[in-house]
Amino acid sequence: MSIQEDTKEKADTIEDPVFFVDRPWITIVWDDPVNLMSYVTYVFMTVFEYSKERAETLMLQVHNEGRAVVSSGRREEMERDVQRLHEYGLWATLQRDDQ
Amino acid sequence: MTTNSGFSRHGKNSFIAHFGQQERDVLVNLSEQLVEILAERIDGQPTDPLEAMIGFTGHDSPPDDEVLLRLLPNAYADPVDSSEFRRYTESVLREKKRMNAMAIRSHLLNSDKTEVALDHQTAQAWLGGMNDIRLALGVRLNVEANSHEQLELLSPDDPMRGVYAVYSWLGWLQGTLVDSLMDDVEG
Repeated sequence: MSIQEDTKEKADTIEDPVFFVDRPWITIVWDDPVNLMSYVTYVFMTVFEYSKERAETLMLQVHNEGRAVVSSGRREEMERDVQRLHEYGLWATLQRDDQ
Repeated sequence: MTTNSGFSRHGKNSFIAHFGQQERDVLVNLSEQLVEILAERIDGQPTDPLEAMIGFTGHDSPPDDEVLLRLLPNAYADPVDSSEFRRYTESVLREKKRMNAMAIRSHLLNSDKTEVALDHQTAQAWLGGMNDIRLALGVRLNVEANSHEQLELLSPDDPMRGVYAVYSWLGWLQGTLVDSLMDDVEG
């Protein structure tokens, strides 16, 4: 799932017409001293079907920088992603992309 | 506390580890504690009849307890969005975590051998359940602030020393299960 593909999708509801255009929502995973590095990689591969390389890159970004954007898209999709990551015990939040 | 070799894959759909009685007891006990902690959150009857019908617990504020907050974290930085999300999703998340812990418990109690053999689906439940137990222990040990070096040096009569030993063992055990499952997602 790439950012470019996701931004093409339209949101179901227009709650904020000024800001919703071209501003997708993002899921962020935050660093956590408990979760094993191999486990976090495995969760990214399982939940998002990312390659091992991509999953490891994201895991290392979480570890070294304290956070990483792991997916982007419509708000409802990001809420599903956060829920699944919480089921696995990862510390995840969603927000509007502020870039 | 040691297990011979942790989990290893046997064929396509079997993940096997061997447990001593003490390890088994510890894991059963921790799974039960996790279920109890999660149950603390189930309180109050919903006032709305429709919400009652669909099993809503209607929690919209984050848990006060630190362990529960780590297990059931906020999804948004914004408290209003976070409350709304929690109101509709927390009971599902809590039930998932309860089922994972129960899967570990019943699997250990229902097998009378030292061998624990998990299929892929049960292994997923174990992974999540072991991780939740470690998250809970991690909050108690305050691993956020205490380095591993500090925790290694706890005095023998510190009650946290035993907790740290279990936490370390469980991390190692979980790691062996992750490694044996990795083949499935790598393909």
